[in-house]
Amino acid sequence: MFAALLAAVALQQIDSLPAHRAPRTVVVDERLAADAGVKLGDQLIVSRTPGGAGDTVVVSAFMRRRADPSEVARAEYRVRMHLGELQSLIDYGDRMDRFALLSHPEQREGSALPSLTDSAIRRINGAAFGFQAHRSRDIAVETSQTFLVVSRFHRAIGVITIVASAIFLLCIMLLKVDERRRDVAALRLMGISAQSITRSVMVEASVVAVVGSVVGLLIGWIATLIINWHYRGVYRTPLAFALVTPQIAFFAMTLSLVLGLLAGYVAARRLVSMPPLELLTGRRDDRPSVAAAH
Amino acid sequence: MLFRLAWATLARHRARTLLAMLGVAVSAAMLLDMVMLSSGMRSSFKNLLLARGFQIRLAPKGTLPLDTDATIGNAAEIASALRAMPDVAAVSPVLGGQLHVPRDGRTVTATALGGDAQWQGDYEITDGREPRAPDEIATSDDFLRAANLRVGDTLSAAAGYDPQLRAFSGMRRLRIVGRAHFLYMAAEQRAVALPLATLQAMQGEAARDRVSFFMVRARQGASVDSVLRRIELAVPKVSAISTESAIRQVDQRLSYFRQLAFILGTVSLAVGFLLVTTLVTVSVNERLGEIVVMRAIGVARGRVVSQIVLEGTAIMLAGAVAGLGLGLLTARYLNSILASFPGLPASIDFFLFEPRDAWAALGMLVAAGILAGIYPSWRGASVPIAMTLREEAVG
Repeated sequence: MFAALLAAVALQQIDSLPAHRAPRTVVVDERLAADAGVKLGDQLIVSRTPGGAGDTVVVSAFMRRRADPSEVARAEYRVRMHLGELQSLIDYGDRMDRFALLSHPEQREGSALPSLTDSAIRRINGAAFGFQAHRSRDIAVETSQTFLVVSRFHRAIGVITIVASAIFLLCIMLLKVDERRRDVAALRLMGISAQSITRSVMVEASVVAVVGSVVGLLIGWIATLIINWHYRGVYRTPLAFALVTPQIAFFAMTLSLVLGLLAGYVAARRLVSMPPLELLTGRRDDRPSVAAAH
Repeated sequence: MLFRLAWATLARHRARTLLAMLGVAVSAAMLLDMVMLSSGMRSSFKNLLLARGFQIRLAPKGTLPLDTDATIGNAAEIASALRAMPDVAAVSPVLGGQLHVPRDGRTVTATALGGDAQWQGDYEITDGREPRAPDEIATSDDFLRAANLRVGDTLSAAAGYDPQLRAFSGMRRLRIVGRAHFLYMAAEQRAVALPLATLQAMQGEAARDRVSFFMVRARQGASVDSVLRRIELAVPKVSAISTESAIRQVDQRLSYFRQLAFILGTVSLAVGFLLVTTLVTVSVNERLGEIVVMRAIGVARGRVVSQIVLEGTAIMLAGAVAGLGLGLLTARYLNSILASFPGLPASIDFFLFEPRDAWAALGMLVAAGILAGIYPSWRGASVPIAMTLREEAVG
């Protein structure tokens, strides 16, 4: 008899006992789990206010944050609950903050026929339900404002760096060419044309620029690995903070080559425009020329 | 003599010296900017927090003031308890919210702050006076412009909007008594201030006796930390945040910029150093003959070293002085970019100039200039005199 009663309780077949309810489950942010030492299957009490009465829930999974720029600087923790349970916990009634709608496959973002999505947004906004529909793309743009500002800041820093690099390169080329003034003078005296000398200096400058930019790209790539490793750890996000894309590599190499050629040309022209004897002796010949004397 | 020789050497290759100075100027500008960036945010934020003398903020547990919609209950009781503390000089309760003002067929929405006009620490009146009576309001310039109103006008404002019924709630008639500059608001953010009781009444039952945060000013000479500890014991359901801990939190959120400043500052210094080292080394190599002749006629090794170090330092110093001016200009430009961060108080400067920053940048550059001259000067002073003279003579 006693055994039958126990079996019945277990099977919830006695009306006077409260119906068995499966434990409520939550998904916990892995940052919160790590900081608070929460493990899968742990029981937690969640409440609306600190120290207030709450519900007991079981941790059923951990979640990793998405690579969302708008969330990077926010250090808050997150917990995902079932909608009805959260509504009941915070006394929210049958309300919610937002709906997400998935458009029909052929109406996805970037489709050549966006008018149906637009008309759906117009219809929703026109209905008297107090809703405001937004495109996901517009929300993404709005929430990424912070990163757009950072991106503009980086671009400005990049321009300053390019100016500094250009001056550095010009200076180095000037020094390199200046160092060889005697060789250049000898070549000129042997009859090698100024054009050939300019061309050879420019080839040398382009080699320096290309080799330098390849080494720079390598250093940059290693720097991105370190930056991503460091900041992913600091902000605990899978977001990529620095990237070397083929476009960036191409831009850097092209810019470096153009600057190198320009610096080489300026330095070479400066050298070949001086008389060979002056280059050789390092002294300016101030004597009047024969033609001028006559 | 030493200076004249160094000057003559630099003037011999004007284009080269000028380019090096220009390179150092750009590096110096970047270095100054990065020194300003690393300390500017912190100083600017600290100045902002202490603008009205309140050193402590009390927010709902686990939040920062106005970071969430959470509020603190039993506000009047907490305020009385705080005011009763011996080291507390002033307590300013603040309730945040929104105000909707229907105007000419559209609605102008503004951030609303309900507070105690006598102790408020969120705004400075620029025209008129603070709102004291229940039907008074002070507004920002941006709000006045958007709503096309002036000081002295009366407006109808609501504290809530029910999107399902499309109806305003908590409607009141309010008289504009002042224009105010809101210290913690973003640029172009519309803001209004009104008495705490008025905003609580407009927000309805949900806001009865509730505030978003308190600001607390400790008495002159009292230890802020001990006041903070006492508050935490007396009011355990709030987070008490001192200016220092708020700065620490901001530091943590914006650590990226400090680290970027450190990296770019170091790179700038290294570039300037390399540029000057290269230039002085090449210059020494070019005139090894000249140097050994000086040594041969009895010029002391120390004097040769001093002259070469002086050349490097002169380039660095001249470039640095030009770079400081350039740095201030670029800092202004970069600050204008970062000032457009969404939600950032308009009074925050990322690049805040302080004389000690300029001295720090100048000091680092001069030190780099001296270091840059050490290798070439050592090389110049240690070449064997007889052999070098012979090589120079034979060619």
